[in-house]
Amino acid sequence: MASFTTGMSSHTRKVQTLYKKAVRSLENWYDRRDVFRYQAVLMRERFDQNKDVKDMRIAKDLIMKGEQELFEKQHWHPKKFPESPGGVAYGREVIPPDWVMDYWHPIEKAQYPEYFARREQRKQEYIKLWEKTHGKPTTTGHH
Amino acid sequence: MAGIVKNIRALSKQTNYLRSFATRSLAVGVNNKINRPQQSLVKSTLFLTSTQPMQSRFYSPEVTKSKPTEQEIKDRVLKVCSSYDKVTADKLKLESHFINDLGLDSLDHVEVIMAIEDEFGFEIPDQDAEKLLRPADIVRYVADKEDIYD
Repeated sequence: MASFTTGMSSHTRKVQTLYKKAVRSLENWYDRRDVFRYQAVLMRERFDQNKDVKDMRIAKDLIMKGEQELFEKQHWHPKKFPESPGGVAYGREVIPPDWVMDYWHPIEKAQYPEYFARREQRKQEYIKLWEKTHGKPTTTGHH
Repeated sequence: MAGIVKNIRALSKQTNYLRSFATRSLAVGVNNKINRPQQSLVKSTLFLTSTQPMQSRFYSPEVTKSKPTEQEIKDRVLKVCSSYDKVTADKLKLESHFINDLGLDSLDHVEVIMAIEDEFGFEIPDQDAEKLLRPADIVRYVADKEDIYD
């Protein structure tokens, strides 16, 4: 799906992701809701059969097999949510990021003096919060 | 003699000018008089159409779609959670933890999150889903997504 996991994730998270993808794949294949629910329960049963596997090597192998099966049985036209990548309304509404306001021309900023004064104040507060939680940035040794 | 002719010519020019000006203003007045009944006719037809049912649905649902209130989101989240068969409805509150209080396991949690996705019609990435461990968290997440602040 849309979420692209980077870095390490725990075994439970991997199983959860695989389960979600598997059920969504079933939803693509079985359009009638009752049939889909029956198949989903069967899929849940398959996951529950292996829930007590303690050996991580076997568990990893099971996940790999599951992903292989998911790949082989993927749908040719999966359903997408409208706002998700690939959906019909993806990117329809573009929300500009917050830092765009910092690059306004001073004349433009002068039209909203109160807002930008408060914005500067909030920035200072955020920097203070950052330094409180993460410590002061070191000037050397970034890269 | 020549002077008189010049004067007459000048006068006639002026009168021509005056006449054209006068006729123009008259014409404008006549136009107004002609237009007025037309306007009233248009108004009366507008009045007639306004009594008939207006178009209530437009092409883009975003134009007319009203944002849900926070209470509505709470009700819908609780409805979805209570309709999941492994959740006992009387124990379910906004602050109850899915795994600790309600006794769901991780795959049940995935199913609840998928039901929430289907209810509100947008996808919840796995990174966010792992943090949504109470109905109150889900309400907060959905409200942030729909841009609702209390």
